[in-house]
Amino acid sequence: MVLEDRGGDGFEPKILIFACNWCSYAGADLAGVSRLQMPPNSRVIRVMCSARVRPEFVITALSQGLDGVLILGCHPGDCHYSEGNYLTRRRGLFLKNLLEYMGIEPERFQVRWVSASEGAKFADIVEEVTGQLKGLCPNRPPGHSE
Amino acid sequence: MEDRLRDIVKKLLAEGGMEYLIGYCQGAEPLHVVPCFVIRQDDVEKLIWGPLCLQNLSKYVLQARELEGKVGLLVKGCDARAVVELLKQNQIERDKIVVVGVPCQGQVVPAKLEEVLGVPMEEVDGVEDIGEAFLVTIGEERREIPKEQVLREKCFYCKHPTSFEYDFTLGEMVPFSIDADKGEFALVEELEQLPLEERRAFWQKQFERCIRCNACREVCYACYCKECMFDKKMPRWLSKTPFLSDNQLYHLIRAFHLAGRCIDCGECERVCPMRIPLSRLYKKVQKDVAELFGYEAGIELDEVPPLVTFELEDQDPFM
Repeated sequence: MVLEDRGGDGFEPKILIFACNWCSYAGADLAGVSRLQMPPNSRVIRVMCSARVRPEFVITALSQGLDGVLILGCHPGDCHYSEGNYLTRRRGLFLKNLLEYMGIEPERFQVRWVSASEGAKFADIVEEVTGQLKGLCPNRPPGHSE
Repeated sequence: MEDRLRDIVKKLLAEGGMEYLIGYCQGAEPLHVVPCFVIRQDDVEKLIWGPLCLQNLSKYVLQARELEGKVGLLVKGCDARAVVELLKQNQIERDKIVVVGVPCQGQVVPAKLEEVLGVPMEEVDGVEDIGEAFLVTIGEERREIPKEQVLREKCFYCKHPTSFEYDFTLGEMVPFSIDADKGEFALVEELEQLPLEERRAFWQKQFERCIRCNACREVCYACYCKECMFDKKMPRWLSKTPFLSDNQLYHLIRAFHLAGRCIDCGECERVCPMRIPLSRLYKKVQKDVAELFGYEAGIELDEVPPLVTFELEDQDPFM
């Protein structure tokens, strides 16, 4: 699917979601089977743990023109691998500050915790983030061919 | 002090425990100091020490991994942090290196000195540290230049004038401080206070100039990976052309990799041919690591690096 109208009034942001296999992906699944309505702007990549997401993935996605990147993981304390999401939390915190320092809007990179039973929260997050990104300019990295 | 250094090196080489010493010597141009490897006794006379010995030599010590014997290394206080980090990251073994610590009283930026003197560096015959100021000799003329006019940025807030990790030291710890009337992170804070758009414009202006020569990576003591991710063809993270977005990606990823490892040697900025103020980026990295995780690189040998550990009470802005 090609999102049209980049930059116009009908700007549709492209969002990349990294969802952890054990909680957030199941949460997204629950949102799906519960037929919750949410904007179609996001693409989900399933990872075994939110700590699998290297910060390079996030930075590369943003530099290649995705409008936002979202990392979803289990709530702290609930990680399937005991402590993966604690590491994600530190990295996320650090990366968020760094991106902001470089002049990238904080909305473009977010980390959230979604458990397997929180289908509604998943739908809310997708809706909220899509709304936030619609309020920003499209992310067109300068000098990069589309 | 140079005599003392030469005595120590001579003795170490004669004893045969050390294959060579990495130090500073005179380069091809006057007052251009280059790193040198002293292998033979008669090379020892070439060794020099002074306020123009800018390089962080700890990058070269990684070669000791392939050697049978030991490698000697001359370190300033600030470079000693790199040695501690390399030990911590298991890149070298402590008994493979001989660390010779030198007390340093501030390093000169040649470009600043040229500006203050109004004379190109080629005409300067000597720069000497006389405590309060630098004594510059130009032909017959001798001029005293106040230190704060020509010091390197990192020297203004120097915390370790003398190496704290050493086998031999050339002098006792000399406290060094200069009235800088601004904090260590002043430049970072100044940028942080700007609105987001201006910050973005600032960095875009800087990274537009980047030609991705990789000098900052090559000189960095912490970039010791056998194959750097930026050199990989599969997957290829960067295009070969220095587009602005790829330049930004390069510098952002490098900054992330240096989280908890950057020891503020300032070498990246010194070698940058495009004069990109990279220390403004890496100071931010150090500031965040200190503020968020209470960690300072290269101080304690048994401290766990910040991004491979966690606390249950870490900040959680993501709920």
